[in-house]
Amino acid sequence: MVLEATMICIDNSEWMRNGDYSPNRFQAQADAVNLICGAKTQLNPENTVGVMTMAGKGVRVLVTPTSDLGKILACMHGLEIGGEMNLAAAIQVAQLALKHRQNKKQQQRIIVFAGSPIKHEKKQLEMIGRKLKKNSVALDIVDYGEEDGKPEKLEALLGAVNNNDTSHIVHVPSGPNALSDVLISTPIFTGDGEGGSVFAAAAAAAAAGGVSGFDLGVDPNLDPELALALRVSMEEERARQEAAAKKAAEEAAKQEKGGEQTSSHDVTMTEGTSASASGIEDKKDDLMDDENALLQRALAMSMDDTTSSHHEQRDTEMSDAAAEDPDLALALQFSVQESGKDSSSQTEMTKLLADHSIVSSILASLPGVDPNDPSVKELLASMQNQAEKKEEPKEPKEEEKK
Amino acid sequence: MAAESATAIQRSQVDLSDCVDWSGVECLNQSSSHSLVNALKQGYREDDGLFLESDADEQLLIYIPFNQVVKLHSIVIKGPEEEGPKTIKLYSNREHMGFSNVNDFPPSDSTVLSEENLKGKPVILKYVKFQNVRSLTIFIEDNQSAGDITKVQKIALFGTTVETTDMKGLKKVEDH
Repeated sequence: MVLEATMICIDNSEWMRNGDYSPNRFQAQADAVNLICGAKTQLNPENTVGVMTMAGKGVRVLVTPTSDLGKILACMHGLEIGGEMNLAAAIQVAQLALKHRQNKKQQQRIIVFAGSPIKHEKKQLEMIGRKLKKNSVALDIVDYGEEDGKPEKLEALLGAVNNNDTSHIVHVPSGPNALSDVLISTPIFTGDGEGGSVFAAAAAAAAAGGVSGFDLGVDPNLDPELALALRVSMEEERARQEAAAKKAAEEAAKQEKGGEQTSSHDVTMTEGTSASASGIEDKKDDLMDDENALLQRALAMSMDDTTSSHHEQRDTEMSDAAAEDPDLALALQFSVQESGKDSSSQTEMTKLLADHSIVSSILASLPGVDPNDPSVKELLASMQNQAEKKEEPKEPKEEEKK
Repeated sequence: MAAESATAIQRSQVDLSDCVDWSGVECLNQSSSHSLVNALKQGYREDDGLFLESDADEQLLIYIPFNQVVKLHSIVIKGPEEEGPKTIKLYSNREHMGFSNVNDFPPSDSTVLSEENLKGKPVILKYVKFQNVRSLTIFIEDNQSAGDITKVQKIALFGTTVETTDMKGLKKVEDH
């Protein structure tokens, strides 16, 4: 519940036309910005968020810090891509914008989306970082896009700015995972862990589903085929989770090395849920309406209370999909596992978060994770031990299917 | 001189730490382990082992609001010989200053601390400039050794309160 004023610096340089993040970098960034604005305002209604561009015609403040989400979303429309990003000037302008915030009691924070090469030297960035620290401004950096020397420069900047872990950096490699999904589980979103994981879980469900309070019971009303497919996929996922967990153990090692996204189990679990949600989305395209599937699936996973009767139906339909996507398997596993317990979404999410097998599966699906890394294997082994007890009865089923 | 300043303090001046509005006290560029409380609060500041330390560089910006209007007479700043503050600038009634605008307006008073000051000798301020103080900003520009870290062991403010509605205040000291 920290009272915060945030300035988000958007990269709208030419490099944002690149499609290595779907649909293109700029769109992925815009989605992430929207999510962050929502998250910040939800954390504390008095929080304000402002947006500015780093490239294009020049460093320009689009919206001064405000708690009005509509203004922020509106300003993202019609943004033109072009030019080069000027990180130093952008951070200085952001600092100035924060200095003139209306409520001086708010903590100052700058979130930078660095998606194109940085032309400044490390020394210059460190000086900027120290100046930010001196004025007690926290800095969050989202590093994506080009790689050449950028992570080191940004890490140096973070080191200069960081004061008591209030500043964070996230490196997002290109791949199937949406930028916003990856960010949801990071401290950038969860606000330094306070009340974060629960909110992030809700955000993940909301992002994938857009509604709350639905469960499988509503499916038949909207789309019977969808409901059926969901049930089948749930069962399949559960069956696949065993295999996924093992793969996850290997990949988790890479993930641990790779980035900030596993800073806490809670965070990872949350991310896994959202990643699973997106995975399921991919798989269900041909079976049903994309949007509906996503919504229903994600919601069902988090709020599942009727899956016990649906296992058998799901098995058949989801065999192919689940086999390819450990995330999907995980998601199904979640919903199935939770079906026998309290069906309140809150409790389920908490339990999901506590389930280490899910963590490993999620980790496995994350790109850049090296399955052969011994440290990762160890980590996963410890997690596996907890998961194995639950999953033993399902293992024979898994073996048969394979 | 020393006797004079000592009597000046005794005569009508009160330690203003009771008048400080602790919820609004701020310090920019302080190190998280050595914060302003160590230098300002009674009990903490008497202990020379507890001090306020600067973080990224040697400058410090301390903002002290008061819960009533005060007149500021003198100030005591204690610090170690090497890393104690040297040049300090005081601004009255300027809210929320930053390092970037310390040079934008002239200070109400500025002084260079000597060794004696660092040992506890009070610095008499330009009383006329501090007749109506709601908040005080202390800008420590550099330290004795020109090093990267500034340490302050004690900050004490002496003055008198003005006749304003102070619920907690019991004494009204007027001086002519």
